[in-house]
Amino acid sequence: MTLSFIRNKVVEVEPLADGSLSIFWRLADSLTEMEMTMKVRLPDLEITEACARIIRSPHGECASAPDSIQKIVGVRVGPGLRKIAGGLMGGSASCAELTEAVLEAANAVILHFTVPQIQANAKGTEEERKKRYQDMLRFNPRLVRSCIAFADDSPLMQGING
Amino acid sequence: MITFSRAIVVTGEFLREDFLRLRGILEDHIYAMEIQVDVRLPEGIISSIQGFMKRYTTPVCPKAVDVLQKTVGMSLRDPGWISRVHREIGRQGCQHFAEILVECGRCLDSARMSHDLGDTLKAQPSASPWEIARSWVKTHPEAQGSCLARPKG
Repeated sequence: MTLSFIRNKVVEVEPLADGSLSIFWRLADSLTEMEMTMKVRLPDLEITEACARIIRSPHGECASAPDSIQKIVGVRVGPGLRKIAGGLMGGSASCAELTEAVLEAANAVILHFTVPQIQANAKGTEEERKKRYQDMLRFNPRLVRSCIAFADDSPLMQGING
Repeated sequence: MITFSRAIVVTGEFLREDFLRLRGILEDHIYAMEIQVDVRLPEGIISSIQGFMKRYTTPVCPKAVDVLQKTVGMSLRDPGWISRVHREIGRQGCQHFAEILVECGRCLDSARMSHDLGDTLKAQPSASPWEIARSWVKTHPEAQGSCLARPKG
């Protein structure tokens, strides 16, 4: 059967020459098309620039949505961002997709830093890989119990306190 | 050069007028996985769900596929459904499965509106899509309250 709806979302992280990160986010679906770009300063992960545009929407109200993105300038990518972004950008009285854009861009920044660690973890024997994951967990205790791989009864967690 | 990129595709297929199949596909530099979820309309109740892990980081990750079954019977209209998905599917399963499922759920009413808008424009080609969309939101209170374009009331 044919589709009634398709949504495409893409988010990209690019390191810039000045040491900051540029993040590009785009949503295009059967009804809506919008873009957001953000710049994040390192090492403190402060959002230094943000802008958005609505390219296509079935709702006239969406035209004013990009104004809210400026409110996240000065906020840091980190714990609590969901609540901060929701509060600053207006919650259900604002554009839900642009608020999600900020969170997805922030998630992409974190995953940008995760890629080299995952590549390193993939090398060696099973025991060596397990040790690297346990070292990663000791350095990032927030990951403990964050998913099934790092649950208390996971084989990856055996011996971690030893 | 792009050092990290993530693409998510969500599709909506009406199996019947009261059953919507949403498929969500995630591909990024680290992960690749897919969810298919059948949703009863208009309540938004998950009637069945399947997950596929194609690229992941640890040998434990595929165990998260079975955790998805916790969502059967859940309504995508419950006020705390997103938190519940992150808590029960994300933290007890896979964060990225949770992200895909949340994206699928957030497309529920867009898929319905797209479907109805398409039917209306076929019957009335010169109608204003903005007016049709506004009328659709007004006549579907269950879809109201999520953003400035879909206010309550």
